[in-house]
Amino acid sequence: MDSTPAVELCDVVKTFGEVTAVDHVSIQIQDGEFFSLLGPSGCGKTTTLRLIAGFEMPTSGEIRIGGETQGFRPPFRRPVNTVFQQYALFPHMTVYENVAFGLQMQKIDRAEIRRRVGEALEMVHLQGMEKRRPKQLSGGQQQRVALARALVNRPKVLLLDEPLGALDLKLRKAMQLELKSLQEHVGITFIYVTHDQEEALTMSDRIAVMNEGKVLQIDAPAELYENPKHRFVADFIGETNFLPVKIVQLHPDIVVELGDGTRLPAGWAEEHLRVGQEAMLSIRPEKINLYEERELSPPNATTARVQGTVERLVYVGTDTHHTVRLRNGDTIVARLQNFYVEEEPWEVGETTYAQWDAAHARVLSKE
Amino acid sequence: MQELLRRNPAARAWALIMPSLVFLLVFFVAPLFIVLIYSFLTRGKYGGVVWQFNPENFQRALDPLYFSTFLRSIYIAVVTTLICLVLGYPLAYWITTRPPGQRNLLMLALMIPFWTNFLIRTYAWLTLLRTNTGLINVSLMSLGVIKKPLPLFANDFAIILGLVYGWLPVMVLPIYAALERLDKSLIEAAQDLYATNRHVFLRVIWPLSLPGVVAGSMLVFIPAIGSFVTPAILGGGKSLMIGNIISNQFLAAHDWPFGSALSTLMMLVMLLGTLIYFRSALREGGGV
Repeated sequence: MDSTPAVELCDVVKTFGEVTAVDHVSIQIQDGEFFSLLGPSGCGKTTTLRLIAGFEMPTSGEIRIGGETQGFRPPFRRPVNTVFQQYALFPHMTVYENVAFGLQMQKIDRAEIRRRVGEALEMVHLQGMEKRRPKQLSGGQQQRVALARALVNRPKVLLLDEPLGALDLKLRKAMQLELKSLQEHVGITFIYVTHDQEEALTMSDRIAVMNEGKVLQIDAPAELYENPKHRFVADFIGETNFLPVKIVQLHPDIVVELGDGTRLPAGWAEEHLRVGQEAMLSIRPEKINLYEERELSPPNATTARVQGTVERLVYVGTDTHHTVRLRNGDTIVARLQNFYVEEEPWEVGETTYAQWDAAHARVLSKE
Repeated sequence: MQELLRRNPAARAWALIMPSLVFLLVFFVAPLFIVLIYSFLTRGKYGGVVWQFNPENFQRALDPLYFSTFLRSIYIAVVTTLICLVLGYPLAYWITTRPPGQRNLLMLALMIPFWTNFLIRTYAWLTLLRTNTGLINVSLMSLGVIKKPLPLFANDFAIILGLVYGWLPVMVLPIYAALERLDKSLIEAAQDLYATNRHVFLRVIWPLSLPGVVAGSMLVFIPAIGSFVTPAILGGGKSLMIGNIISNQFLAAHDWPFGSALSTLMMLVMLLGTLIYFRSALREGGGV
C-alpha cells in the first residue's frame, strides 16, 4: 500500500523579490486523491499550484511528480495539465481545436485525436458543440471545454485553479458534484485551489489550509472542521467562538480559566502551550447547548459550563443563533437546531447556562 | 431647431457628425472625384485641363516606362513593409514584456522621432549616406575599412532604408496594442498543453496578434507606395517611385490629366493590395 505519492513537495520556498509567497511547504498527495489547497487570496495557494505546473520555479526545495524530480523542467515536459481560473480557452480556435490542441502537440495521429476528443467532449456533455467558438458558449460550457481540454491528455495529475470561481452559485454547486464524480470516474489525482471553504469541504479527500505562504494543517474535511490545530484554521473553516483564556493546567486534563475566574475543561491544546499562558478557547456554535438552571446536572470534568444572559436571537430557518453575554463581558453564539417548531424557549434577557462537551473545546495559541 | 435636437436622439447624432461629414465631403470625396474626372480629360497648355474626353491617359500610364515604375514602387513598398514587420514585431513583443511604467516610456521613445520634421530627418540620412561626402563612407574610408565608397545612396537601398526608418513606429504601435491585449494565461495554457515555445508562437501568439499585424502593415504599405519625399531625396534623382512621377506631371510637365490617371491607378493598386492582404490574413487568423 506504500505507493509513491502522485505529487510531493519537499520544503518548497518561492520568493518574489522581498515577498515570500510559499514558505517551506511540504505536502504529499496520494495517487487518485482529490486534494485541495484552501486559503484566503494571497496565501500562496495559486503559487503552489503554479510551481507544480512549472509556470514558476521554486527558489529552493524540491517537487516530485510520480516520484520524478521536476527541477527546472518547463510546463510542456510535465505530466500535469491545468484548468485555469478564467479557463484560458484559445479564442481563435473551435471547441474541437481547443480540446485537440494538447494531443496535436504530442504528435498523436489524427484518427486517435478524433476518437479521444470525441470521448472527452462526451464526458463533459458537450457533444455537438465541436464547431463552436469559446465566445459562443455559456460560462458553464466554457468551463467544461477547459476540463475536457485538460483531461483529454490523460495527465497523471490535474491542477485546477479556482475553476468554478466565475460561475453563479447554483451552477457552481452543480459543477462541484459533477467534478467530484468525474474525478472518481477517471481516477486522476486532482489538486484543487480554492478560497471557498464550503467548496473544499464538499469535494476534497484532504485539504491543506494555507495562510501567508505556510501550510497550517493538512487533514480530511471532517478532521479539519472538528479538530482544527491552529487558530486560523478554526476561524477560516466554518464558524467558531473564541474565548480569551488563561491556561491553568495541562496534565492530566486540560483546564483553562476565563477572565472572571470560571474554570473550564478542554479536550485538546496546542503542544507548545504552557501553564500560565494566555490562549484562545475555540468552540463551534453547534456544539453548545443552553440550559435553564433547574435543568442542570451536577458539574463533572468532561462538561464545560458558563453562565450568561441571552442577548440576541437570530432565526435562520434550520436553526436559531443565540448570542449569550457571559458575566465577564465576552459573548458566545450557540446554534440551536429548530427541531421543535412549537417551542420558543429562550427570550432576550433571560439567564442561561451554556454547556458543551469538553472534548469539542480546543485551546489554541493566541497567534 | 433646438426643440428637434432635444426630442430626437438621431437628429442629435447627425448634428454632431455633421461638421466632420461636411469636411470630408468637401476636402476628401470631392477632390477624389475631381482627380477621377481630370484623368479622362485633355491637358491644357500651361497646366490645368481642357474639357475634352481623352482615354489615352490610361493607355499611356500602362506604357512599360511608367508601368515598370509602378512595379518598382510596389516592390519597394512590399519590402519596406516586410522589413518593418520583421523589425517591429520583436520590438513590440519585447515592450509588452516590460513592467507597465517602462512600457509607456518606451512607446513614448518610439514616437520621439515624429517630433522632428520628416523632411529634415530624411535630409539627415542624406548626410549619412551620400556616396563621396556621406559620413558613413568618409569614416569607413579614412579608417581604411573600405577603399571605394559603398553604394549607399541614390538607389533602392537608400529609399527602403529611409522608408523603414520613417514608418517603423506605425508598424510597432498596432502590433503592440494587439500583443498587450493578449491574455498571458493563453500562453501558459499552450505551454501546459505540451506546446514548445515555437508552437506557442505559431499557434497562439501569432494568430491572435494578426489584427495588429494587418493594421500595421497597411499603415506602412500605403504611405510607402505613395511616398515621394524619400525617393526624391534619397533616390538622388535616379531611383524614382510613382509618387515622384505624379508630382512631376503636376509641377514640371504640366500634364494634370496624366498625373490624375497615374494617381487613380495607384489608388486602385492600393485598394487591391489591401483587399487581398485582408482576405488572406483573416483566413489565416480564423476570422478573429
